[in-house]
Amino acid sequence: MRNKWTKVLMSAMSASLLLTGASSAAMAKAKAAPQPVVLKVLYMSQQGYSTTVLNKMGAEFHKEHPNVTIEFTFLPYPQLHSAILTSAAAPVAQYDVVLSDLIWTGEFAAKGYTVPLNNYIRQYIKNPKGIPQSVWNGLSVGGKVMAMPFLANFQNFYYNKKMLAEAGFKSGPKTMAQWLHQMEVLKAKHIVQYPYEDSWLQAEGLVCDYVRTAGEFGNGNLFNAKGQPIMNQGAALKALEWMRMLYKDGLANPNSLAADEPTAANAFASGQAAFNTNWTFVTGIMNNKSESKIVGQGVVSGFPVAPGTNRATLSASISGFQGLAIAANTPASLKPWAWKWIQFATSPAVQAQHLHSEWPIWSSVATSPQEKHLNPWYKVYQQNLNAVYNRPAVSNYLTVSSIIQQYVHEAISGTIPVKTAANDMVQQIESLPK
Amino acid sequence: MTSMPVESPPKRATLRHRLFRTLSGEYFWLYLLLLPSLLILVAVILIPMLFAFQMSLGNTSIVVLGGRGTISNQWVGLQNYLSLLQNPIFWQALRETLYFWVVSIFIEVTVGIGMAVLMNQSFFGRRIFRVIVFIPWAIPTVVNAMLWGMIFDGDNFGALNDLLLQWHVIQSPIVWLNPSALFPQIPWLSNALSYLGSNLAMNSIIVGDEWKTLPIVAILVLAGLQTIPHEYYEAARVEGASAWRQFRQITLPLIAPVLTVVLILRTMQLMRAFTLIFTLEQFGLPVLSIQAYQQAFSFGSFGMGSAVSFLIGLIALVIAYFYIKRLYREEL
Repeated sequence: MRNKWTKVLMSAMSASLLLTGASSAAMAKAKAAPQPVVLKVLYMSQQGYSTTVLNKMGAEFHKEHPNVTIEFTFLPYPQLHSAILTSAAAPVAQYDVVLSDLIWTGEFAAKGYTVPLNNYIRQYIKNPKGIPQSVWNGLSVGGKVMAMPFLANFQNFYYNKKMLAEAGFKSGPKTMAQWLHQMEVLKAKHIVQYPYEDSWLQAEGLVCDYVRTAGEFGNGNLFNAKGQPIMNQGAALKALEWMRMLYKDGLANPNSLAADEPTAANAFASGQAAFNTNWTFVTGIMNNKSESKIVGQGVVSGFPVAPGTNRATLSASISGFQGLAIAANTPASLKPWAWKWIQFATSPAVQAQHLHSEWPIWSSVATSPQEKHLNPWYKVYQQNLNAVYNRPAVSNYLTVSSIIQQYVHEAISGTIPVKTAANDMVQQIESLPK
Repeated sequence: MTSMPVESPPKRATLRHRLFRTLSGEYFWLYLLLLPSLLILVAVILIPMLFAFQMSLGNTSIVVLGGRGTISNQWVGLQNYLSLLQNPIFWQALRETLYFWVVSIFIEVTVGIGMAVLMNQSFFGRRIFRVIVFIPWAIPTVVNAMLWGMIFDGDNFGALNDLLLQWHVIQSPIVWLNPSALFPQIPWLSNALSYLGSNLAMNSIIVGDEWKTLPIVAILVLAGLQTIPHEYYEAARVEGASAWRQFRQITLPLIAPVLTVVLILRTMQLMRAFTLIFTLEQFGLPVLSIQAYQQAFSFGSFGMGSAVSFLIGLIALVIAYFYIKRLYREEL
């Protein structure tokens, strides 16, 4: 009897040990398998790095990290900032990784909406010098890198060589005087009613064009080293006078005052303007048969500049850099994954796969045989990238920008005289609470 | 000797008893059925409104502390409201908003009633006509904005410019969406109109907005017209009343309640009109709703943005009060 009970007991113990062992093994296996992670990423709906391209990148990342799923939200540019703001107000971020425009760098750093990435970059980016310093500068403030460069957007000077040839010019303008002369001849010969169209709608694009034009006159910095606004003097004032003159003399299409960048690009691509100063996406549009009537006629060039200025680059462009940033209220457990995604999306290998879409941020990729083959204008691109001016890096930039937009728009349309507009602009910006 | 029974004074019902009586009496089901709606109204309207009002009395900003986002609100009393009332940009925005409202309402009352009267007549294809008229209302506002953006495009290829150029009405394209002054050749008139908030872009946007909203006004007025018995008109005709007198003394008073609702509804919509204006102009036409959005979501000043929103609400409320007082009470 006793033996019988001992056998039963032994069998039960063996069985329970076996079961315990099996379940322990399963637990260990489960622990080893990474937990599923969903990263919410906010991105801009645009051409270039489009929804399709980003989704493809997300799928590639998922292949490398099967436990991580990237959930994109695509919004038009004007809605991005407010989406980031409302996400920052929530206890836990609605978006873990956000596309951060360089004009928000100062604000996000001051208010702590995104986290500095210096430690990650120091640890994981082997060759930070592979990205042009101008790009790092745009996304950094006070030594803190607030976003990892992702989009090296900047403006190019575009002209229609067929129209210029009809007017008797063999090449595009190198100086502001030459540019003015070419526009006047094009108009006088009725080759085109309005030689130039730009995006002067009262929006951020207008500030970009104003800063770039000031740069073409030698100084695109709207604030001096002491942080004081200087729109009522020097290059910035000349730029305002120039823009007003183009509008008044009918050299710039009056529609510029209601046009955003795509509208201005369409005017150029449809052959209604001989010149366009715009972001890099125009290169693709002007040679796309379905969108353009000037296929083979468009030329990408460095910007004309005032004599004796911008000697190092012989051009003056405007930056529109954007980077990927980690929201400060992203849960700590997700932050390493957020960085992994950023590192992946901004890596030279991934950017090299999408050269059709955007100009890469990495110099090594930008000078690769593949890029040279795809983009015959790559030297001009490099020239303009090296010649960028940044919009003011102030923490209340959007308020400053709204004042600039209002007065520049009014000065161009002639509602108020240029000098008065410039003085009022400076006065109003100086009166803002510090 | 028998003692007279003394009537004790009625016991005062306690709050608990009254509440019990109310909830268990004939109104029990009424309150029960209303409860979900009331809860939703409290959750999505009352609480956010109180929260927004609290923000309007503070210097509100978004902060992220210890990895958690929150809204900090530093009490400043009526400072936001006072700052707004001292700011000329606010007054210009107010004038532009009021211009948008006055012109839109005028078009809706005149053309809307005209359309409704027309649709109330018997004619061949009336049903199809009514359906066609209603189509613009079904178009989403953003799509409507894009549509009018293409029509008003200031280049040669803008639909309106193209048409007018082909008909030789204009010599060169007009930039319909540029907020430029009207009648620049007559400075005093141009300045006066600009001061009142009237410019080319504003009037173009009113056209785009009216194209979409006139049908709903016409349909609502039509519903009011159909409740008027024909006998009234027959009697008026027997008495020799003219068509205008019939309209003024029968139609208008009897559609007044519907008209009041329409006017209040449209005033609320026009005061906070945003989508069409922002899609076409961004910040180029800063009516009050655009200013509220810019303050809150561009500048991050949620307190100031809320203050603008409450002022919009207050103005709409005052206008609605006058509608009700003038149209609803007097005419019924």
